[in-house]
Amino acid sequence: METSVWLGRAATKPGSGAITTDQLRKRYRDGVEALRGVDLQVNRGELFGLIGPDGAGKSTALKILAGVMRQTSGQAQVLGRQPRKVRHLVGFVTQDFSLYPDLTIEENLRYEAGVQGVPEDVYAARRNTYLRGLGLAQFTDRLAGRLSGGMKRKLALCAALILNPRLLLLDEPTTGLDPVSRSELWEMLAAAGREEVTTVVATPYLLEAERCDRIALLYEGQIRMVGTPDELRARLGLHRLELRSADLLRLESAIRELLRRGSSQIVDLYTFGDRLDVLVKSIQAAEAELREALAEAHLPLPAVQPAEPTLDNVFSLVLRKEGLHDYKPPEFPKLALRAPAAPGAARDSAPAAQPAISARNLSRRFNHFLAVDNVNLNVDYGEIYGLLGANGAGKTTTVKMLCGLVEPTAGQALLSGEQALSRSSSLLKRIGYMSQKFTLYDTLTVLENLEFYSTVYEIPRGKRREKIDWALQACGLMGMQKTIVERLPLGWKQRIAFGASVMHEPDILILDEPTAGVDPIARRQLWNLIRDFARDGAAVLVTTHYLEEAEYCTRLGIMTRGRIVKEGSPGQIKGSKPGGPTSLEEAFVAIVKGSEEDG
Amino acid sequence: MNRILVQANKEWVEFRRDRLSLALAFLLPLFSLLLFSYGIRLESKNIPLAVEDADHTPVSREYVHRLYATNMFIPAACPGDGSPSDAIDRSLAKVGVVIPPGFAGRLFAGQVAPMQVLIDGTDISDSMIIINSIKAVNSYFLKSISHCARNPQAVVPHLRIWFNPGRKESLFIVPGVFGVILWMYPALLAAVAASREKEQQTIIRVFSSRLSAFEFLFGKTLVYVLIGLGLALVILVPGCLLFRICPVGDPTPLLVATPLYLFTSVLFGILVGTYANSQTVAVQATSTLGFFPCLLLSGFVYPVDNIPFPLSAFSLVVPARYYINLCRDAFERGIGWPAVYPDSLMLLLFIAIMFTISFLGICRMQLKD
Repeated sequence: METSVWLGRAATKPGSGAITTDQLRKRYRDGVEALRGVDLQVNRGELFGLIGPDGAGKSTALKILAGVMRQTSGQAQVLGRQPRKVRHLVGFVTQDFSLYPDLTIEENLRYEAGVQGVPEDVYAARRNTYLRGLGLAQFTDRLAGRLSGGMKRKLALCAALILNPRLLLLDEPTTGLDPVSRSELWEMLAAAGREEVTTVVATPYLLEAERCDRIALLYEGQIRMVGTPDELRARLGLHRLELRSADLLRLESAIRELLRRGSSQIVDLYTFGDRLDVLVKSIQAAEAELREALAEAHLPLPAVQPAEPTLDNVFSLVLRKEGLHDYKPPEFPKLALRAPAAPGAARDSAPAAQPAISARNLSRRFNHFLAVDNVNLNVDYGEIYGLLGANGAGKTTTVKMLCGLVEPTAGQALLSGEQALSRSSSLLKRIGYMSQKFTLYDTLTVLENLEFYSTVYEIPRGKRREKIDWALQACGLMGMQKTIVERLPLGWKQRIAFGASVMHEPDILILDEPTAGVDPIARRQLWNLIRDFARDGAAVLVTTHYLEEAEYCTRLGIMTRGRIVKEGSPGQIKGSKPGGPTSLEEAFVAIVKGSEEDG
Repeated sequence: MNRILVQANKEWVEFRRDRLSLALAFLLPLFSLLLFSYGIRLESKNIPLAVEDADHTPVSREYVHRLYATNMFIPAACPGDGSPSDAIDRSLAKVGVVIPPGFAGRLFAGQVAPMQVLIDGTDISDSMIIINSIKAVNSYFLKSISHCARNPQAVVPHLRIWFNPGRKESLFIVPGVFGVILWMYPALLAAVAASREKEQQTIIRVFSSRLSAFEFLFGKTLVYVLIGLGLALVILVPGCLLFRICPVGDPTPLLVATPLYLFTSVLFGILVGTYANSQTVAVQATSTLGFFPCLLLSGFVYPVDNIPFPLSAFSLVVPARYYINLCRDAFERGIGWPAVYPDSLMLLLFIAIMFTISFLGICRMQLKD
């Protein structure tokens, strides 16, 4: 993104804060308390991150700051005045864009400029600059409703910029964006900061929080901590060790045992697809303690790599310290329930040579568009295979072919050796499929939805009660049975959807972006669930474009333009970028860009 | 002012792009015009009549001919034993007339000559008409034979129908249809437009801009009133041509009241749309709250004076009532302002009330709690 977009802006005087709130409270008419006394200071020119899970109150806070909603009590000052009074200086991008789908890009911008009182000549100049800067210049006649998610996001941003705002409020600007567009957007926000524009970004993604000047953690309507990412890490006073081993499972149980007995050094343990992270007080002392414990368990020493703690570590520890959220994955009753269950037996009978999910030269053409181009992949039982890719890379089409929902143009999609397309009832009983937009009935309660799906999946009547209870418990939905689904945040809906699609205990799980829009805490829980399924021997295929969660996969395939261009464990993918191990995101962007240049 | 135009222009572009809106604006109203105007017939014609004449005299035959001469009845096919009651049972006839033997003889003897008329009472309005026709025929018949009968009718009623002497039904129905259509469709369009902002969440964009509630509402209203005027043209002109009616007398009341009525209708839609949260709710509410009262309580089909008490009060707030009255004056009576100025004033009152309520619903220009 060109920084010239931001030039020519009248410099604002630094000094007074851009945003000041004092004991901001918001109680909705239905009694929900979204904000419970928020004190916030944002300085001018700052890129400020408002981080928090679903339902923490991020959107409510931004709406109040944008002046489109009133607080119940407390004070909010924006640019030194009441939010209502400075609406013409504030650019607000809502979570769902708020664009007019029946208007073109040009008409949307013109309307925004018109109602904000931007003079015609100024408008024309700004429009040209921003549209060019955002790469939308050649699409001005396209209807907003026909734009891709990424382009809508850019247009919404453009509409916010057209009034030359001094403050930008962005509500989850990267949700639904692929990694490439996401990194572009962040570069642009950083450029905005250099031009003295204050930016407040609400996001549930901790990886993004790293890019902010300062961040605040909002949890259940209160700010739990504020500071620069480095400050917050330093305040934690812990180190992170990445452990890699051939036998992660036994390494994990050994460390868990150590934690249970009371370790003097190790504070927390995180499990990923091909590594374990432990948070430790001192690197040397912790290594010594580990060595001792592993020797006792007759385990080889893992490869240890010290690293900075992530913000994810910081937040989970802070929340746990305040007793707000038990981050440790609860012991899911699933294991007990599943142990004697049938799928294991079915699995044993399948020959080991037969992969659970298999694509052979799979292609799919829609008219003249080759959506999937000769894809080969194999997923074994016990594996979590992550299919990564930008929007439109062909992930969903691949998944639909593997589920037998879409007929391949060429090649074969096999599920445990059987044609996926046959969709025989014995096969269907073994597959759990969760689509991007899993259909829950909004007007039914949680329980009624689960009851409906238990009938759909032909769970024997006598067992339904037990399975539904299990799904409720496993997905943390106990006590929510009577809630109407419509009122729940997206993250909750995804959990119900997951519960509904695994209720029949499938041993092949195919999940299409199961965590889109889900907050970090819920996402972690969902991934713990997925991992438990895999450890029980289920084969899992997941598509995602959140690279932070790609780390949970044991193997990854990177897809761009219908082809898998890179396959390997998260560690291998990272290492494949010349210049040493970096973040998975950087590696991904490099691979995608590299392959597009080749093609 | 500039912002009102910006808002209005946006509404216009959106309207133009939305096929549903276009259909709602022009095609469906035309369809409704034809449906209502051709479909609603209050007079009854071609009622099948079955006759059993057991008298077989010239007098009894004359009586039967008189019945057919009203142009109201046609002979019904009487299969089987040919009895009228059988024909009525089979729904082949709606009326059966049985003339007993000795009918003519009794008449000439100055006695009461009984005869039987069977009427299918399933359709109340039809049966009322049949009763009246039979009575009329009877009295006419008595009069015509008075020179030879000894008991002539003493009273002969003189009937005359005013304003619509030919009882041309379209003069009654079509102006009413104008009122119904110009109420229904502009309101629907405006309700869809107003609720769409909420459904698409674009209302936040409006709230976070400098637009005031007045500018927002007025910009929207203006566009849909203009679209409504287009609709009025598309409905009134073909309506007049097809049904051969034209304004009589001074047309200014009609020209003034039609835009006022459109304002009322559009504001009603905007009012519903402002309070409804989705387009579906808005459309259903506009249809139910707008359409049925307009159809049943406006005097379109049933006279307003016949509406029983609690509903008759409700009919006072049905704007269509006033416009239909005004329209009928323009096309039938032609009396003009002296007769219809109260109707115009009522429309103005509705405009003021509905704009105020819409304004109050949105004046904070902030999201509701």
